[in-house]
Amino acid sequence: MQIAPMLDMAFQLLTFFILTYHPMPQEGQFLMNLLPAIPSTSSAEAASDAASDKLPAELRTLPTTLKAGPGGSLGEIIVGEQAVPTTPAELEKELDKYLQDPTLPFDQTVLKVDPNLKYSELMRVINAFSNSFQRAKKPPNISFEELPPGA
Amino acid sequence: MSAQMSTELKAEPNLTPLLDVVFQLITFFMLMINFSSDNYDRRITLPVAGSARPIEDDRQVDEDRLVLNIDKDGHLLMGGEVQPIHQAVQTIKRQADLIKLNLKAAGKKLDTSGSLPTTIVLRADRDTSFSSVHELIKACQSNGFRKFALKAMNS
Repeated sequence: MQIAPMLDMAFQLLTFFILTYHPMPQEGQFLMNLLPAIPSTSSAEAASDAASDKLPAELRTLPTTLKAGPGGSLGEIIVGEQAVPTTPAELEKELDKYLQDPTLPFDQTVLKVDPNLKYSELMRVINAFSNSFQRAKKPPNISFEELPPGA
Repeated sequence: MSAQMSTELKAEPNLTPLLDVVFQLITFFMLMINFSSDNYDRRITLPVAGSARPIEDDRQVDEDRLVLNIDKDGHLLMGGEVQPIHQAVQTIKRQADLIKLNLKAAGKKLDTSGSLPTTIVLRADRDTSFSSVHELIKACQSNGFRKFALKAMNS
């Protein structure tokens, strides 16, 4: 049996697939439910909090401010009212103090972000929060707000 | 006599194992080819976040998704076009209207809050400023999108 033509065709196909093959890099994602900004003291939310026997959302929210440095880098992080280190390991350690302390009610955070901050720096902070929420066995509940310019 | 012997001795290589290997390779490349990568723009360099979950492991993301690629200048890359922010807002509105029409045609109703079931997959460049990303997030929110997936590289 003459299989040389079939082999030729198989090699042609192989060449095509090798040339068009572009392996996709491994991508991950953070899933979020982002609601539009509403006043935190809205009656609907208050009613839902009362019904679920929870503290009001504003008391459960850990406010975090991210200020940009030169070139859109992360200049300063303020958790609550306290400035914390910007290196990932130290930031996570600080966040653990807030999220793992059973006497503190925090189960969500609002990131107030400088408009000039680079997206990669924001993701670095989200990554740290995600890790800390995970260690505290709480669902990562993160939302964003834009800081007014010059704030 | 010697001429007759030389015509009978044929040395043909056995090509079957080679063909087997080639077909195995073809099968591998056919299975690995990713036809769904059309939405994933290679001009975007994603930020790195170690705890971003791989898509395969996640069952919460619906099949219904809208991918938004945002370049480092804050422009939306969609349908082969580079759209500035005001045009991007219009595009998002059009997409939301289409999704609402599709839901209506399928006889599905929106929930009381009017939120759409579609997940917005945000693939923003690592050097994009937050203000550009936030503008698009706000545009999505005002058109009824609530579910977001922020993309990052695992390592």
